[in-house]
Amino acid sequence: MRAERNMRAERSCYLLHERAILGAAMVILFLLAWEGLERGWWADLLHPLLGAAAERFKLKPIFVSSPTLVAQAAFRMFFVTGEIWRDLGWSAIGYVLGLVLAIAVGIPLGLAAGWYRRFSYAVAPFLSALNATPQVAFLPLIVVWIGTGLGARILVIFLLAVLPIAINAHAAVRTIDPRLVKVAASFGASDWRLFRTVILPGSLPLVLAGLRLAVGRGMIGVVVGEIYGSASGIGAMINQAGARFQTDKVFVGVLTIVAVGVILAEVVQRIERRVEIWRPPA
Amino acid sequence: MVTVADPATSTIPRRSLLARLCRDHEQLVIGGGTLVAFLLAWEAFGESGLVDPLFISSPTRVAQAGFALLHDRDFWNDLGVSGREFILGYGAAVALAVPLGLAIGLSRRLQYMLSPFVDTLNAVPRVTLLPLIILWLGIGIWSKVVVVFLGAVIPIMINTQSGVKTSEARFIRVARSFSASRFKIFSSIVLPGTVPFIFTGLKYGAGRALLGVVVGELYAATAGIGHMIAEAGNTFQTDVVFFGVLIFMATGLVVVALLDRLEQRFEKWRPNAR
Repeated sequence: MRAERNMRAERSCYLLHERAILGAAMVILFLLAWEGLERGWWADLLHPLLGAAAERFKLKPIFVSSPTLVAQAAFRMFFVTGEIWRDLGWSAIGYVLGLVLAIAVGIPLGLAAGWYRRFSYAVAPFLSALNATPQVAFLPLIVVWIGTGLGARILVIFLLAVLPIAINAHAAVRTIDPRLVKVAASFGASDWRLFRTVILPGSLPLVLAGLRLAVGRGMIGVVVGEIYGSASGIGAMINQAGARFQTDKVFVGVLTIVAVGVILAEVVQRIERRVEIWRPPA
Repeated sequence: MVTVADPATSTIPRRSLLARLCRDHEQLVIGGGTLVAFLLAWEAFGESGLVDPLFISSPTRVAQAGFALLHDRDFWNDLGVSGREFILGYGAAVALAVPLGLAIGLSRRLQYMLSPFVDTLNAVPRVTLLPLIILWLGIGIWSKVVVVFLGAVIPIMINTQSGVKTSEARFIRVARSFSASRFKIFSSIVLPGTVPFIFTGLKYGAGRALLGVVVGELYAATAGIGHMIAEAGNTFQTDVVFFGVLIFMATGLVVVALLDRLEQRFEKWRPNAR
């Protein structure tokens, strides 16, 4: 304990960056372990111990790929052939349209259900039933109805994204301080004015939280809609690469989706912070 | 609003009794009414000949298909396979994610070490990994178990961890001043405070687990309810598809209801919960 305290001065630099150092160390270890599986480092290392059985620790590149192979594939797909941009663009169209539709339907629906009690009674059974269902189960039906084109993907993304938005908007109106509504009403505020100055700003944080969920759900819609019978898009690319044992391309696709997911989450968080600026700290 | 009981009007006419019933159970009446209206409209639309029943089926057709399926051995096999996938994957996710989430919440270093992986997996729909998992484990039950596991494990872990992080600092300070041991603090303050978060995670995780079952079976499987839906869709048996969707819907509702029940049990000690 005392020795540790004495060392604190030397360690302060480490402690300051502990998060980055520990995190990076684990990531590097993981990447090395992965690379080793493909190159047979583990097999060589364990050979004296296990004998021939150590060969099991050398895996074929079609099985695990490796960080360097993935990096090469990524470079090729992004900058040499540029094939991934078309898929990304195609996925983005469906994603944006589906999400916009979900926002356009979800927010009014949720706000109305929150404001009109009877309306909420009417739609609540449908919303909670749909919410409990994995909405992608509708995919075969959607395909029967409108085929496997862009429309089907938009519909799946919409189905997945609309529920968190509507449910959160509903809850948002319900949790608005009733005193605020009462004050505004007693000063003769019109319904529209009440909506614009009390309901809308008051419900915004929860609505945005719903949007954050919807952004993630929408990504599920993109991937599932595309791996289930679509010819283009990032999910279709992953699917085709998987079927052809091009494991490196699969990983490039997965990592691209990770990157997009992180960026989108960051964007929504920025919007949330921006909207929250006027609010006094709780 | 206060009604004074007048002896003259104490014999309530039937109509007002009905009206009162409607008012007292307004939620049930309106909700049930809309549901019935929806089913009737669907039935009428499906049987009217305006649309080919091949496309939208109808409630009676779905019920008939469901009844027929109950006598079908394949259907019970599908149900068993899907159930096993769900239970194995979700069970493993709970068994790993809750302790690991608690550990991550308690140990800053562990959090630093694991957060790159958890955050990365959290940013991507885990079903994206399906083509890889199929490549590794084949199209049998185990690839689906892994997808279900991956889907459920992340939300449970993240919620548990954030539950530990938000434990009431004042309580811990008080306990420390009374020189409570670390284990005592954990078992009597941190853990009970984390329970609601764990349950939130469990409910989220259940949804993701079901999603994993559906997507895994739609994508590549030889049995399971999702496989049944996909096959029925390919052969335009819309009624069977709807019945399969209904099964998933019922499962989702039942699992969430069970978790709610369980949560209430754990939360009984809490004074004036709402």
